Formats: sequence, structure tokens, C-alpha cells
Amino acid sequence: MQDINTLVTFSSRTGSTERLALAAALGAVQARSYIRLRWLREAVDDETVDRLPEWRSNRTRMAREYIAPREIDFLWADVLLLGMPARDGVSSPEWTTYLAAIESVQHGGKFQGKVGSAFTADASETGRGEPALVSLCSSLDGLDLILVPPDLADAGSPIESARLHGRRVIEAARGLRQDRMIQAQAI
Amino acid sequence: MILVRRSAERGHADLGWINSYYTFSFASYNDPAHMGFRSLRVINDDRIAPGRGFGAHAHRDMEILTYVLDGGLTHRDSMGQIQTFGANTIQTMSAGTGVIHSEFNASEQEGGHFLQIWIEPAAPDVEPSYQQISFDPSEKRGRFLLLAAPWGMNHDDLGGHHASIHQDAFVYAAVLGPGESVQRKLARGRHAWVQVAQGSLSINGETLAEGDGAAISDECDLAFTGNQEGGEFLFFDLA
Repeated sequence: MQDINTLVTFSSRTGSTERLALAAALGAVQARSYIRLRWLREAVDDETVDRLPEWRSNRTRMAREYIAPREIDFLWADVLLLGMPARDGVSSPEWTTYLAAIESVQHGGKFQGKVGSAFTADASETGRGEPALVSLCSSLDGLDLILVPPDLADAGSPIESARLHGRRVIEAARGLRQDRMIQAQAI
Repeated sequence: MILVRRSAERGHADLGWINSYYTFSFASYNDPAHMGFRSLRVINDDRIAPGRGFGAHAHRDMEILTYVLDGGLTHRDSMGQIQTFGANTIQTMSAGTGVIHSEFNASEQEGGHFLQIWIEPAAPDVEPSYQQISFDPSEKRGRFLLLAAPWGMNHDDLGGHHASIHQDAFVYAAVLGPGESVQRKLARGRHAWVQVAQGSLSINGETLAEGDGAAISDECDLAFTGNQEGGEFLFFDLA
């Protein structure tokens, strides 16, 4: 029963948030969702990239492995999962652009019933970047998505927490869909 | 009964970075008459441009085998595997409860030629796993080299090291020189698929060229002979 489409969009420099995005996506797959993984490339110059070890090589690799999100992905998705490093916020140029793109689609009323959630990573991979998480969730809430809040309970590791979160979001989305179907049949 | 699936009849997609021929329905190629054979679901004959490949994507409940004919492939997955392999290697991945992976031509200069094979598992939700087994090319010359067998089959009993898959299916590779022949028995009730990877050969007098496939049922004795330039083929022994 693969009836839920999940779009996982993340930004990542050294790969920490990428690993959480993969774990969240894997949890979604385990919950029998189709997934698409999309990477937001940072709007920074080469000199800035070269300041951080691993950023250059990871950026080159991720540019090969992931494409940028497209409008068709928003429309395809039943679930939007967003992830960013804890040091970032939705005011960063790439996220501002991305959220504006989502908002332009949402204005057409095409997000009705879609589910959203978020995750973050900090440099030590504690996964507790609350300010960034709060800003992401607030943005999702403003887009009229049904928000599934992140579970900050310790699952043993940030990777495992992300996997369980991905799984939980899909199960919530499926439950909401079933509720709607029952309500529709009752009318 | 031998039913030949000619190379030119296969589905085809050329996206620039990848030129694929689909023996069975796949992606945009959908032919209800060619959805697979027994548990064999996909045989994709892919030529991939230098440095290009498949970005991160998911699989679930599928046995995925990759056989390199030319060049090399770099694989990364959610199980933590980062591997590069070339010809004379069988790579298998049991997707089971879920795997996310990417595959790229390992060369930035040379194109690659790969066979991607999917076999439906006997049961869903197996634990994901990855295997990669290399062999000497001499091991498949003039004989059937076992590449993959069902989980639980003893390596020694089957005559060597092979990958394990979650299906009652045996996968072999063989290379025949010009005029060289090998025989094979197909047990009663079993079925076989032959896929010519390179060159050409004949099976019980039926000529197969590169890219051709053949579904075999109700045949016990199979005789394979290499044609003028000889050839390499994969042999699937299926329930």
C-alpha cells in the first residue's frame, strides 16, 4: 500500500543534515511511501564554500545526487518534510526562495489536506536545533499544511530519531487520509 | 518451448545521459504483454554517460542485481555502503523494508554499460542487505558460473561463492567462444530466461543476437553454442 507521496527537501553543507534527510526518507519508505529527495543549494560564493572543510566536495557530490525541488514536486507530494542545519533559519536566501515557491503554489489552493513536518541538525548531530526547527514549523503552519510536530524524544541517535520521525509522519498522513475518507462516506 | 524476445522489440529511452533498452515494462515503457517472466521483473540494458547516473532514490521489496559489461559503477546507499565495482562482479541488493541508494558511472571520461535486473522477492519486508562478489573472467568461460542463488543454499554444494537472493531463482553467467558449446538441463517444472549480454549464440538451434532474450518453458535439454564472434549471456533458472 504505497499511497502517500513524500517530498523530502533539505539543505546541507558537510552532509549532517543530508544524513538525517536520508534517514527520514528511509522511515517514510519503510512506512510504504513513495519519496523524492531534493537538495537546496546554498546561495553562496566559492570563497565562502572553501572556508569549511568538506563543504566543497560534499557540494559537488550532492549536486550530482540530488536535483533542486520543482513546482511539480510540490503538487506531487502529499507530505512535505523539510530539513536544515540548526545554524540556519528560514531567512537564509535559499530557504526564503524555496518557501516563496511553495507559497505561490499554495495560493492556488493546491495544498489542501497536505501534511508538513520538519527536522534539523546541528554540527554535532544532536538534532536539537530548536530555533531553526521552530522557524521551519512556523513557516509550514503559515502555508496551511497540516503540521505533524517533530518528536524531540531521544530515540538513541539523531539518525534513528529522523528515521522514526519520517515513519511517524507518513503514518499520521495516512491516518488523516483515512479519516477524511470515512467522513466523506458519512456525508 | 522457446519464445524469443528480440532486442529491437524492447522498450527504448534515450535521455541523453542514459540510453536504455527495456526487456520488460519499465518507467515510461509500459507493455502489458511484457511485464516480466516468472519472478523476473526487469532487465534494463543501460549505457550511461561519463560521471552521470541515478541520484538518490528508494526501493522496496525487490531483489536488485547489477552486472557491469563495460566500465564501472559507484554505489552509495542508506545501509552505509559506498562501493565501486566493474566487470566480472555481481552486485545484489535486497531492498526489503526499504533502501535509498544512488548509482553513478564511476568514470568521468568513459561511458559505462550495465545490466540492471530486478527479481521479485518471495516474501515482502525482508531485512535490507547488500552483496558484491567478484570472480575471475576465466570462471565463466565455457561454463555456467553461478552468480546468485536463493538464501540458505550452501556455497560449497553449489560449487563456489555467489550472492544470495530472496527468491527461488538461480542466476548464471557464461561466455562461449566461436563454435563452443555447453549443455544444461532444466528440471521439470522449472523455467528459464536467457539474456544475451554481448555477441551472439544459439540455443537448441535458435539464434540469439546481442540484446535478445528468450523465455524457456517445458524444455529439459538445452544446448548453447557460440556463433561467429562468440558471446556472453545470463541464464536465469526460475520457479
